[in-house]
Amino acid sequence: MKLELDTVQQWFQAVVSHPGGAAEGVAGEEAQRLIRLDRLDRGALEQVVRRSQNLTAEERLSIYANAYWARLLECLGDGFPVLRTALGADVFDSFAFEYLQRYPSRSYTLDRLGERFPQFLDETRPPDAAWPDFLIDLARLEWNLAKVFDGPGAEGQRLLAPADLEGVPPERFAAARLAPVVCLRLLTFRYPVNAYYTAVRHAEEGEEIPYPEPAEERVALHRRDFVVRRSALSRPQHALLEALLAGATVGEAIEAAVFLPEMSTLEDEDLAASLQAWFRFWTAEGFFQALFWNKPW
Amino acid sequence: MAEKTPARLGHDNLGLGVGLRSVHFDHILRTWPDVDWFEIISENYVDSGGRPRYVLQQLAERYAIVMHGVSLSIGSTDPLDLDYLRKLKVLAREVNARWISDHVCWTGVLGRNTHDLLPVPFTEETLRHVVERIRVVQDVLERPFMLENPSSYVTFAGSTMEEHEFISRMAEESGCGLLLDVNNVYVSAFNHDLDPEEFIRSLPHERIVQFHLAGHTNYTTHLIDTHDGHVIDPVWDLYRLAHELTGGVSTLLEWDAKIPPFPVLHDEVLKAKRFLGETLPQAEEESAPEVATGSAPVPHPLHHILPEVE
Repeated sequence: MKLELDTVQQWFQAVVSHPGGAAEGVAGEEAQRLIRLDRLDRGALEQVVRRSQNLTAEERLSIYANAYWARLLECLGDGFPVLRTALGADVFDSFAFEYLQRYPSRSYTLDRLGERFPQFLDETRPPDAAWPDFLIDLARLEWNLAKVFDGPGAEGQRLLAPADLEGVPPERFAAARLAPVVCLRLLTFRYPVNAYYTAVRHAEEGEEIPYPEPAEERVALHRRDFVVRRSALSRPQHALLEALLAGATVGEAIEAAVFLPEMSTLEDEDLAASLQAWFRFWTAEGFFQALFWNKPW
Repeated sequence: MAEKTPARLGHDNLGLGVGLRSVHFDHILRTWPDVDWFEIISENYVDSGGRPRYVLQQLAERYAIVMHGVSLSIGSTDPLDLDYLRKLKVLAREVNARWISDHVCWTGVLGRNTHDLLPVPFTEETLRHVVERIRVVQDVLERPFMLENPSSYVTFAGSTMEEHEFISRMAEESGCGLLLDVNNVYVSAFNHDLDPEEFIRSLPHERIVQFHLAGHTNYTTHLIDTHDGHVIDPVWDLYRLAHELTGGVSTLLEWDAKIPPFPVLHDEVLKAKRFLGETLPQAEEESAPEVATGSAPVPHPLHHILPEVE
């Protein structure tokens, strides 16, 4: 059978990536459209792929078909290890199997394989149930951890240190803007997935961590010395940082935080002490690169 | 009269190297082992803005680096990914890569990537297509470029030539170098009922710039290229033959699953010394092939680096 290269390749891809395996792939609509093979003739396949002494053409194609799913399921699972633990490997793989059919890889790198997995979980969630939010948020957390780990960072650059804030008069500090490090990400979750992530990582072998109850959780992710760090944030802390990341001055950002109910009961002195402690912690963690007065970065 | 092609296309014999894997980063940075050179999986570094790239930059100051990719898809009928090629070029400059390699295969069509090294039919049409694309790749990369024979599990009824003829003509017509994976020769020859020695004897030996060695998994009816164990004796025998025919080229050991501690990996490639007129660094190990049963293996390539999170 004389076949063009593009026909052979499209057919081969349709066969080895068919969710039902190679035999179903060969009989499937897409493969049959490209290369019509008599479904009843067991030898027809050998017009395209030769058999070997030990294996039929179908068995040989199955090596690629099995490898396709095994490789991608393993890789996706490695990208979401805590979600896989939470769901159990079989349930995780069944989600992953559906996902890879809807969003097959289109990138040269496996690093992007899970890019749309949180979105997929959201798109396929059962209606009228809250628990999928837990899985979606956990997937979002793990995806963001991977991005922060291997994305751009600030290692080797001078960062703003707590000492740099000392001696800056309050009015001048309020007028300043803070340039965050490039790897800083703020996340808001509907379930405490960051706490769950920590609990799973610290669990003893075989210990099961129960799914948490819904509760809002806010987290800052950033990277220091090439390791990703997770900092839990209160709602006011998150509001303040979010405003700073959006380019607000320190004064404007503080305003965004202090009018939240959590802060309204604080005395001025306590409020000032809290704010000071936050900025000290964040600068010690390496959240910021510099203070600016003239213009946004 | 045309000038004679020099051995290894004139490139250096870098000695005995190993594939860089992230689980060994700490060991390497702590001990700076006496390894001749490292090969990286290009896809793990081209986009990295984090630790993988930082570690690589440090290694590149002390060791010769070669870039080995799995996503070029030279045989695909999809257009070449120029964005990916440009990233390879940038990284190659950054780490002073001695050469860049990939496989005689395709990884996907219609915009998709199966992340597998899929076989091409060995026809005149495929040959023209691949040679033309190698020329483009060489023009873009402006760096020595090699292609490797992959392990394969099917052959096509439409093939009009053997793999060794295809690869030989491909190299001669495009001017590219060859990365001879000795284990892949053994795996493919077993799977296709062919003679691995004939394959190796038939190649243009002066175009072979590098060897790969690796372990595979024996399923009795077929072999799968899993890169998860020691190199077996029949593969070492083929290595000896390839060494004699080429006069010796840069040799690299790949180990991608069940990765052992770095010294085990390094010792494995040092076993090649017995074919290089040098004494073995340690007692020879029995390397009779084990026969696998049960769970589905994941053939090479499966390369990704897992994040480090506190």
